[in-house]
Amino acid sequence: MTADAGTRALPETPPARRGLSLRFSARDLLRVALFAVVFVVVTYAIGMLGILSPLVWLIIVLVQAIVGGVTVMLFLTRVKHAGMLTLFGIVVALFYLLSGNTLLSTAGIVVLALIAELILWAGRYRSKWATIWAYTVFGLSFFTPFLPLLIDREAYLASSSWTQMGEDYVRASDTLLSAPVIGGLAGAILVASFIGGLLGSAILRKHFVRAGLA
Amino acid sequence: MPDVLALPVSATRGRQGLDPRTKIVLVIACSIAVMSPAGSRFVPFALLLAIGLAVVEGAWRRAIGLPVVAAVMWLLGWLLPVWWPNPVTAIVSIACVYLIRFVAAIGVGAHLIATTSPTQLAAAFRAWRIPRPISVTLAVMLRFFPVVGAEAAAVLDAMRLRGLIGVRGLLRHPVLSVERFTVPMIAASLRASEDLSASAILRGLGSRRIPTSMSPPRFGVPDLIVVVLVVAFAASALLLPAPLA
Repeated sequence: MTADAGTRALPETPPARRGLSLRFSARDLLRVALFAVVFVVVTYAIGMLGILSPLVWLIIVLVQAIVGGVTVMLFLTRVKHAGMLTLFGIVVALFYLLSGNTLLSTAGIVVLALIAELILWAGRYRSKWATIWAYTVFGLSFFTPFLPLLIDREAYLASSSWTQMGEDYVRASDTLLSAPVIGGLAGAILVASFIGGLLGSAILRKHFVRAGLA
Repeated sequence: MPDVLALPVSATRGRQGLDPRTKIVLVIACSIAVMSPAGSRFVPFALLLAIGLAVVEGAWRRAIGLPVVAAVMWLLGWLLPVWWPNPVTAIVSIACVYLIRFVAAIGVGAHLIATTSPTQLAAAFRAWRIPRPISVTLAVMLRFFPVVGAEAAAVLDAMRLRGLIGVRGLLRHPVLSVERFTVPMIAASLRASEDLSASAILRGLGSRRIPTSMSPPRFGVPDLIVVVLVVAFAASALLLPAPLA
């Protein structure tokens, strides 16, 4: 089962502890589905708020990473056993793939979800800080659409018409898409998703715990 | 009820549209072709395919929107930096050259999302022996989408009504805007999902028996037509001179 791949290496624990069982109940699946949908819809809604220019796009990615934290943190309060975050990552990634995203970003999201799952597991699925760090890692999923640029920049940009566009153009594209700038973007997304984790847990305390939803 | 089960499935349903598996393969193939480093030569054909699918489906907004968005991307990405070369247009152009690939791939993906019902998707995944947690969750996601989307739209409407929306507000009070949007939206979605979850579990979702499908996935003539079309497109993308190179 692919969903269990990340947690198969877990050591054996006493069967009395439901915390580490890998069997998904129907309610678990529905819960994962609902939060995955909320995660995707929130991401798209924020994207819609900022469709003005490609320059705003970069800022919007950071906002998406922050806001995603609210959804994921609330989801993680309902996760009490292994595999759910991995499943969440897999279905979000597959959904992105089915709606036309890159294969590379799908693979990236699944890997990030596995790492986040390990962090959660290290916190025994109870620790608040483990959930925040897990989201910090998972938030990097907003960086995955940029992965192709990092891997094969030359092939993306070296084309006949680019040289016609003048020195300015080539220089701008060189600086904009250089490894430090793209790495900086990854760092910014990492920071944003850490903030998102903190914000998520604060909003959780302020609204959802009080309303009995968390 | 053996006699009910023995009914030929093809007799019980009117066949229309593509097999969900064809659509899934089509989306993944398009996204791989378009997003690959040499993918810009596939972009026009993927766009054509996406527009064609939208027309066949009768989704006129998408059929018109896709070429418009692609044309804007093309203007900003290829013509603008030639007319008016400076660093800002260069940055805009780079982004558009990259984003036009997403427009093409997402256009094909939108057809899959818009025309596949949750049960069809689940049946297709079952035919492929995809693990149950993944197939059930994805199918349920398709069902939840309109619900959560409606809640999000309602919250956005309410925010607009009170003048809380706008880039200025978002920049001045980022945390507050985020809170005002996400909290009611998530709370409303949770409430709406309770009923759906109860009904889904009541109808046997998550039971370990393999369900039979009212419309099992079968390949038909439309799938053949699309395959032939895709082969023709791929061949011409490789043989014709690439306009967007």
